[in-house]
Amino acid sequence: MKNKVVFSAKIMEDATKIVEKCMGHEDAFCTSRCPMSTDAKGYVNLIAEKNYSEAIDLIRDKLFLPNSLGRICAHPCESDCRRNTEYNQPIAIAALKRFAAEQADDEERWDITVAPATGKKIAIVGAGPAGAQAAIELRRCGHEVVIFEKLDVVGGMMRVGIPEYRLPRDVIDFEYTYLSKLGVEFRFGIEIGKDITFEELRVNFDAVVLAHGAHKGNIIPLPGHKAEGVFAATEYLKEISMIKTFDKAGKRIMVIGGGDVAMDCARSSFRIGADEVFQCSLEDDENLPASIEEIEESHEEGVHFNAGYGPIKILEEDGKVVGIEIQKVASILDKDGNFNPSYEGEIMTIEVDTVIMATGQIVEDVTGGAIETGRGGRYIVDRDTLGTDTDNVFVAGDASGGNIVIEAMALGRKAAISIERFLNGEDLKADRCFKDEWSYQTELDVPIPEETTDTPRIHSRLRDSEERKRDFVQSDLGFTEEMAVAEASRCMKCECKLCMKECVMMNEFGSCPKDMMEKLVEGQGMETLLAYSCNACDNCTIVCPHELPMKAIFIDSRKDFVIANNGESPIKGHSAIKMHQILGFSKLFSTKRKGGKK
Amino acid sequence: MEFTLDQNKRYGFMPGCSLPSYSPTAVIKTTEYLNETFDKFSAVQKCCGKPTKAVGQYDLFKERFKGLQDDMDDVGIENMIVACQSCKLTFDAASPTPTYSLWEILPVIGLPEELRGKAKDSEILFTIHDSCSTRHLSKLQDGIRWILDELGYKYVESKYSREKTRCCGFGGMVVPANPEVAAKVMKKRVETLDVDNVVVYCAACRSSLLKGGAQAWHILDLIWGPVVNAGDLSPTDVLASPVSSWMNRYKSKKGIMKVVK
Repeated sequence: MKNKVVFSAKIMEDATKIVEKCMGHEDAFCTSRCPMSTDAKGYVNLIAEKNYSEAIDLIRDKLFLPNSLGRICAHPCESDCRRNTEYNQPIAIAALKRFAAEQADDEERWDITVAPATGKKIAIVGAGPAGAQAAIELRRCGHEVVIFEKLDVVGGMMRVGIPEYRLPRDVIDFEYTYLSKLGVEFRFGIEIGKDITFEELRVNFDAVVLAHGAHKGNIIPLPGHKAEGVFAATEYLKEISMIKTFDKAGKRIMVIGGGDVAMDCARSSFRIGADEVFQCSLEDDENLPASIEEIEESHEEGVHFNAGYGPIKILEEDGKVVGIEIQKVASILDKDGNFNPSYEGEIMTIEVDTVIMATGQIVEDVTGGAIETGRGGRYIVDRDTLGTDTDNVFVAGDASGGNIVIEAMALGRKAAISIERFLNGEDLKADRCFKDEWSYQTELDVPIPEETTDTPRIHSRLRDSEERKRDFVQSDLGFTEEMAVAEASRCMKCECKLCMKECVMMNEFGSCPKDMMEKLVEGQGMETLLAYSCNACDNCTIVCPHELPMKAIFIDSRKDFVIANNGESPIKGHSAIKMHQILGFSKLFSTKRKGGKK
Repeated sequence: MEFTLDQNKRYGFMPGCSLPSYSPTAVIKTTEYLNETFDKFSAVQKCCGKPTKAVGQYDLFKERFKGLQDDMDDVGIENMIVACQSCKLTFDAASPTPTYSLWEILPVIGLPEELRGKAKDSEILFTIHDSCSTRHLSKLQDGIRWILDELGYKYVESKYSREKTRCCGFGGMVVPANPEVAAKVMKKRVETLDVDNVVVYCAACRSSLLKGGAQAWHILDLIWGPVVNAGDLSPTDVLASPVSSWMNRYKSKKGIMKVVK
């Protein structure tokens, strides 16, 4: 090229449009929906290819407990999976994660590199998923990290909330060894506010993360709630987790609540010897917040569901629970949209001796009021940074309002990112990509791939319900290799790149038009051969959901290349065309004649 | 604009570049037929300048096209007929003279009576490769199907036909710029056709499909040439040899001069 190519305004405008709208790099629905941005599509497809080592490496790039999450993650990824939104048959992403971990997780391959020591010390309160994730992030940055845990075990609510038959404790313990390998220090059996004051922590450490969860049960003040035999789910599940029994429980148990915690209480009840287990919840069958698997497995095990029935009164005799009155819910919210359930129809009485309330959990303040709290005891934080009014104190997990394990982890990571900025004296928000720290709505908007068929989800192997409901051994045996590969192979591999499947030549220059146009928009010009390799067939634009103008850029820019090259094509091979054109217009090969019948 | 025959108008024909380079016979026979059909008829042979434009030499293109327009005007052409899809698009963009594709003209003026049903006994099964440059011109595509029906040939539509057609690999002057890519496109195009025997209406497309591994006939081969039967091989890739191509081009020009006087 003799001179610098100056691209016309129209070319630059079109290129900018492509950079802004091309969906080539948009994440798949599953990945964008994961608060930790785990590349679900990536590892599912590696499993389909039987490449389990790479699959687990990809998972571990984001998640330190793939096997645990594979069993208990509430998997928001599966809700947004295209096979769910189109066919109601989502890929079993979580179960595949567990499979990958079982097949190929090898601690020798764990990445335990940490940055050189910074001399900074961080205190983390709570060894649940939020605290652990914050610890991992901060330790990797080279800080000294100490986790203070009130219990003598790791895992937080995963350990004392989620029952052992869903999450075997050796799985948690093994996966938490990652933290020790990284050099995170644990101090067990230490309760902040009792053994050490919050003020001591705040002063002795450069930063503090409060991630001690919401372990206090919520008792609804129903008539009879003070009777002997009424317990909060947290207390119930914790004791069952620790000693596999609950001495104060009877044989006929009512669980109030419709979420996963309620299902855990109901199913655990059989395992500690209950004869009959009942459930009631304001939400009806269609609107139960619990995961479909938990609801189905509870049904199989014989829980009597009364979804859509609210508790009216706990009946007592001699101060002990003898029954409960429930009534059909007419509406949950009043006409102003406030929580104010109303009931209709006959009151139904169920004879029970124990009532478990799985109706929310409360955060216990460990700061002695130093950090302001709101509803449910959650600390008041900046939602973007998880910072509090006290500059070196941050909050993560349930204590700040997370709902599920994977969200707790993302909040732990968010708190860590804020602390890293705080320690470096940087603004907590400036130029920060919050989108990377939480789930988000992908811009991906593509038609279903041709020849896609509705194939059913493959379910993992559950032990027989009559057998499994009497012990704490894992109830789900997971996938066999054959099942996992078949299930992973159902993935629709959601992506755009439709033009790349049509066009041969663009594949030689990048992975999508956005790649190719970014350089142009940034002022780095365009490869000459790229412009001159376009056949001008327009197939790219025809298949593009946004009908982006690739051809126009490639073909029209040639004018600018020619101008910069003193009127000639910059392509060597085009000298043949030059000669061809001279001959084509020459007298030797051209003629003009007048004829016709008349 | 839909074509209607008006014998008061002077029609002009230009076969383009690749067709005369491929088959002087097709050019001469077509010119003869049009010359007999229209009361007032002229013929022009020149390049439309599309390659000049395609490499980006817009000023030079304007100059060259003007020379062609002058030739057309000199021989009084009021309505132009072209046998090349690039010519059609180039004329539509650059010429004030209304321009039609030969493939939309033939269904209106008809084929010579003796050719109707000539291939009704042939067992060969074709598919059609539509030119990608005119993917949105359905009249022109309809004309090709009409011709095959008239001749009596059997054909199946491919998944990638008409507006969904794919590039043969020749367009955009890519062959001299990036021959490796062009070769890949040619191979890919043939892979997307389910039937090995392909009918095209662009001589450059024909050459590309042969390079991609298919058997390919120009629609004018089928009109003017012998009946093609199952198992017959298509004409060789004449355009692969520049010497033969220019020789043919010269023969075509001489043929036009002989026919149109």
